[in-house]
Amino acid sequence: MDSALIPEGVKRCSPAKFLIFLGVVGAVLLWGVFAMLLCWIKGLNQTNMNDYYGFALWIWADLAVIALGGGAFFTGFLRYIIGKDELKNIINYAVLIGFICYSSALLILAIDIGQPLRGWFIFWHANVHSMLTEVAFCLSCYFGVLTIEYLPLILENRQLDRVPFFHNLSHNMHEIMAVFAATGAFLSFFHQGSLGGVSGVLFGRPFGYREGVFIWPWTFFLFTWSAAACGPCFTILITKITEKVTQKKLVKDNVIELLAKISGWMLATYIIAKILDTWYWASVTAPSKGFWLLDFYSNNPFYGPWILVLEVIICGVLPALILITESGRKSKTALLLAVILAVIGVSLNRWVMVLQVMAVPVMPFDSWYMYFPSWQEIATTVLPVAYGVILIGLSHRYLPIFPQEKELNPID
Amino acid sequence: MNKEHNKAKKFGMVIDLDKCTGCGSCMVACMAENNVPFKADETNKLDSITWMRVYKLTNGKSFPDADFCYLPRPCMHCEGEHGHSPCVSVCPATATDYSHETGIVSQIYTRCFGCRYCMAACPYHARYFNWWDPVWPEGMEKSLNPNVSVRMRGIVEKCSFCYHRYQLAKEKAYYEDRREIEEQEYQTACTQACPAGAITFGDLNNPEHAVHELKKNPNAFRLLERLGTNPKVYYISSREWVRLAGDNYLRQEGKSEKN
Amino acid sequence: MKVSRRTFLSIGSFIVGGAAGTALSPLPWKLTDDLSIWTQNWPWTPKPERGDVSYVNSVCTLCPGGCGLSVRKVNDRAVKIEGMKGHPVNDGGICILGLSGLQLLYGPTRVKTPLKRVGERGQGKFKKISWDEALAEAAEKLGALRAEGKSHTVACISGSAGGTVPQLLKRLLTAYGSPNFMSVPTMQDAYAVTLKQMHGIDACPGFDVENADFVLSFGSGIIEGWGSPVRMFKANSAWQDKKIKVVQIESNKSNTAAKAAKWIPARPGSEGVLALGIAHVMLRDGLYKKEACDGAAGFEDFKKWVADNYAPENIAAATGIQKETVESLAKEFAAAASPIALCGRGQGRTPGSQYEFMAVHALNMLAGNINKAGGVQIIPEPKYIAWTEPELDEIAQKGTASPRIDGAGSETYPHAKSLLNRLPQAILTAEGASPVQALLISEANPCYTLSDTQAVKKAFAKIPFVVSFSSYMDESAQNADIILPNHACLERLEDVPTFAGLSKPVIGLSKPVIKPQFDTKHTGDAVIALAKALGDKIAAAFPWESYEACLKETLGDKWEILNEKCFVAAEENIEAPLQFFTQECKTVSAEGDEKQYPFVLMPYDSIRLANGFIGNTPFLTKTVPDTVLKKNEMLVAVNPKSACGDSLSLKEGRSVMLTTPKGSAKVRVHLSEEIMPGVIAVPRGLGHTAYDKYLAGKGVNCNELIGPAEDAGSGLDAVWGIRAKLSNVSI
Repeated sequence: MDSALIPEGVKRCSPAKFLIFLGVVGAVLLWGVFAMLLCWIKGLNQTNMNDYYGFALWIWADLAVIALGGGAFFTGFLRYIIGKDELKNIINYAVLIGFICYSSALLILAIDIGQPLRGWFIFWHANVHSMLTEVAFCLSCYFGVLTIEYLPLILENRQLDRVPFFHNLSHNMHEIMAVFAATGAFLSFFHQGSLGGVSGVLFGRPFGYREGVFIWPWTFFLFTWSAAACGPCFTILITKITEKVTQKKLVKDNVIELLAKISGWMLATYIIAKILDTWYWASVTAPSKGFWLLDFYSNNPFYGPWILVLEVIICGVLPALILITESGRKSKTALLLAVILAVIGVSLNRWVMVLQVMAVPVMPFDSWYMYFPSWQEIATTVLPVAYGVILIGLSHRYLPIFPQEKELNPID
Repeated sequence: MNKEHNKAKKFGMVIDLDKCTGCGSCMVACMAENNVPFKADETNKLDSITWMRVYKLTNGKSFPDADFCYLPRPCMHCEGEHGHSPCVSVCPATATDYSHETGIVSQIYTRCFGCRYCMAACPYHARYFNWWDPVWPEGMEKSLNPNVSVRMRGIVEKCSFCYHRYQLAKEKAYYEDRREIEEQEYQTACTQACPAGAITFGDLNNPEHAVHELKKNPNAFRLLERLGTNPKVYYISSREWVRLAGDNYLRQEGKSEKN
Repeated sequence: MKVSRRTFLSIGSFIVGGAAGTALSPLPWKLTDDLSIWTQNWPWTPKPERGDVSYVNSVCTLCPGGCGLSVRKVNDRAVKIEGMKGHPVNDGGICILGLSGLQLLYGPTRVKTPLKRVGERGQGKFKKISWDEALAEAAEKLGALRAEGKSHTVACISGSAGGTVPQLLKRLLTAYGSPNFMSVPTMQDAYAVTLKQMHGIDACPGFDVENADFVLSFGSGIIEGWGSPVRMFKANSAWQDKKIKVVQIESNKSNTAAKAAKWIPARPGSEGVLALGIAHVMLRDGLYKKEACDGAAGFEDFKKWVADNYAPENIAAATGIQKETVESLAKEFAAAASPIALCGRGQGRTPGSQYEFMAVHALNMLAGNINKAGGVQIIPEPKYIAWTEPELDEIAQKGTASPRIDGAGSETYPHAKSLLNRLPQAILTAEGASPVQALLISEANPCYTLSDTQAVKKAFAKIPFVVSFSSYMDESAQNADIILPNHACLERLEDVPTFAGLSKPVIGLSKPVIKPQFDTKHTGDAVIALAKALGDKIAAAFPWESYEACLKETLGDKWEILNEKCFVAAEENIEAPLQFFTQECKTVSAEGDEKQYPFVLMPYDSIRLANGFIGNTPFLTKTVPDTVLKKNEMLVAVNPKSACGDSLSLKEGRSVMLTTPKGSAKVRVHLSEEIMPGVIAVPRGLGHTAYDKYLAGKGVNCNELIGPAEDAGSGLDAVWGIRAKLSNVSI
């Protein structure tokens, strides 16, 4: 039925199977859309957010997907700027995942703000001192870049490619992709950083506040660094999942291992920096405001010291060690474990830097309050996941995402 | 004319916690003056809009040594360093601003798009989000004050030190051909209502205003001074444990720290 | 179906081209802008109308405090209530209830037209009727009873006894032929009986707290709403400034106790004993004012009686207070230049034990502060209402001569003027038909405020005809047959005699600030209309054409100044000879068996919870802490160290059954170190079943859990608590 659209030389599942897949994921998507409409029509009272949790699940999801989408900019940076040519075999997928992550982030932001119809005020009445303004500008620009990076991929569809104009356009865009990749990398370094700055500049919130250089708190650099480290891990993870689902090998091991090695070293250096940052914050910054480290991790039912151990040791040091050793990268299980841990680690870091910042009482007579998202918040957070799965499904089916697929899976 | 003579004002409050009875008049005076909405159930204090909120502080001791003290908390109108208040600097749409003329942190309701970053930034929880559309039962909208606009759903609001009263007082002075307004001409609704007279409001920079002297009281303190928020609301308490409850102290930092 | 390349491409280019074209046109930008402007002007977000600003002075009638108000108006709307500067009671200050008064005025609880019951009693089903129909029906019912010779079975409950409206109601009853005019008793009644017994005169107490230099409070909620609340708040602040010592004797740490220089947690109910213990030390050590007391009636007997029975070491067990504390307290009290002792628990809603009042007043007499600066002022009852006695026809003469249903003024209760607390039992224990055949209720909500509300409601059910004059759909109005809604506060003209413990009482004039919002009628006018409809001598007793005319005539030369200033000074102090007492009065103990009920339940008053005739406004309820009310569930405060049996462990927020001999309710526990172990502190003012969604169904009415405790001396209700237990909620 749709065979004319499927790239030549690859095998895809039957349309019926594909439609069932679309139907199931589409149902989840619709559930999310319903929740989204509820939030827009009835307002944010549909959530479990409150005046103590002005930032909650959604902002966490935003920060997390952007960190995970960091694979796009960093792989692009490595491929086009540093010149790691092997990475061309995974760059398409990295771009697609990045595109999904960034579009999701924008969608979530549009749901999260109380007055979505005024969202553009952030550009029109921009306050240049606000980290969020920086985020909004860079995020939108980088989303544009990702769209431009994704567009030639779409044009490579078998049918579109036959149109000489599209063919040439796509070819020419590939030629100048380095420029966009460079732009993207530049923008990303900034907005990943400014997302880190979001809580880092809150000098009224000792848990999030960090000192730094010039206007940038240390979290600014830590966020960029961790996104660069863990974004590619997420790309590897999604590639592995796609391979599992399609039951095909899509990317050669040497490509994955190269990316994993670079990630590993990034992660290792990041975690050293993170430990130094934590140490300085715990021994100098926080005490100057009247807090011991353990004040942030006690007298409440959830936020205990285990979070620090899990984030820094189990999901930081451990995957870094696996990824920087060759035997670790070569072992399929170890590699998979490492990328999963890294992804959890960066997500947990974002959770802590959003939710725990809100949870820690600052006024001595205030108390800890716990938060659990409402179903509407969960559904709208699952919505981008469903959307991402669908977009990956469609892209994989109709676009030549994996250049090595044909070679790795010859049709007899 | 005479601009250099016209020193910038810095409006602030001194609240005498020895006098505060925790009666809540300030909260209601504020709500009535500023058209603050109410819901059928306001027992979830995490989504209940009270620009002025009275906290109850306890000394943590057992009966009969237990003691408590009420602490009214308006917006602190933090000055930070040179007007770099925690909330103003983070607002992405310039919907909240620090006035160097009055020292008042304003909130532009029609500009705010509800990102709530300012709420995340405020350690005093002085900022409130309109989670719901404000609804008044039929007829009760007649009691709304036209000097303060009603806020719509989806935006952040907070105490404005009754800024509209400052504007009205200035207008009046202008018509009467006066450059300056008198201390009593501009008073917030909570100050005016407090039956215990616990709240004093005025220009902290003006030696003729009562707050100027009161803030120098040896028992005066501000909330969370160590954060560098530089708030403009001072508290006075003769009880040491109350003064110590105004900020965070590490265990070994004895009472000597507090002075 | 195979999508041809052509179709695919043409659809694709159509979409892409269309999108690009639209984006380049001004349309999306204009639309984006318009949409944001729309969000700034949502039609469902109200925009208060601007207009001319004016201020109208009036007097608050929401509590007996009598504060002067300055109401800000914009055109014909009242937009803000503020305190009146220069008013002798509140001088610009204002309490939380007064501040939110506009929510009552404009609120959904208003009764908007006369109503006639159509459903079962208490079901709350009414139909609108006209004023003519409503008054005619009420007059017909009353006329019929009178014709049957049952005029004495008509009773009236009025929120207060003073002022022209209550007096018009009383006059109506007198001319009609009934002695059963009752007012809602408060500590003022207990004080009146005390002054009668200890000075032999009909008078009201005034407390010159502004000039006192030592304040000894026996459980009075000085900053909880006792007396005239704003005036007391101001006094409290003045004490803080002048470093005047306040000693609060109260089992729990109330706001007053927390502000006091010293808090003495005496056992609940032992305040009177403690007062006499202090008297004992003063007499023993000769610390009393000899020139005031020596030679006073009964002094020697009193001295001996106190010496024999109230030595500090002997009362330590009853009060839980050490001998040394009592000794030093007595010395401090006596050493002060102008000490004052206050009583009346909490806000003084419940009159209280006569024994306790007399014991505390004896301390004032021993301190020699009667009619002295900083002491207790003895003020005569207001006399400005000087109407000629109504001429009574035969029925009225017979009716008014019959005994009162509540027993007030009888041989048993010679000093009490009305004993509303005795009414429910009188109705319930009567054989045959109810002794009350018709009841008028004005500015009172007995179905909510009286102890043992269940019994009150049962008694109400036995009254065939109930008329309510309430402005609001309260519990009593809901149980009425006809509602003749009064104008609300700020809509009506009314004199407000304010005593409330003021050292210089005033007569205030509550002036209308806005026009009546609904089809309501001033109760004064309704009473005059009823009298006219009843005809003959009843009509003749009401010669005024309207309430306003009546008020103007009554106030005479005060009218003009009242209109201008909203207040005039009331009477001057009167001479008050001292009479000491020795009769053995009993302390009022908490009802219930100690073994079965290990706790003592004590209602507590909060200024943030209106607990009288006026229900809480939405703003007030909004300020109620979440340690008192969570969703619709009430929290009772208990000390975590309270012993409560093996089966139950006390945990913050835990749901428990609270049971007393009078009833039980599901509540949640709030653990508090401010409460004496073994005491359950229950907020007063919650648990309304009437009113609107901002109040109804929130929490439990503590009056349903406690019963009245008739004071052996006065007959007034002296209940301060009841024994209680906590148990697991059965699933």
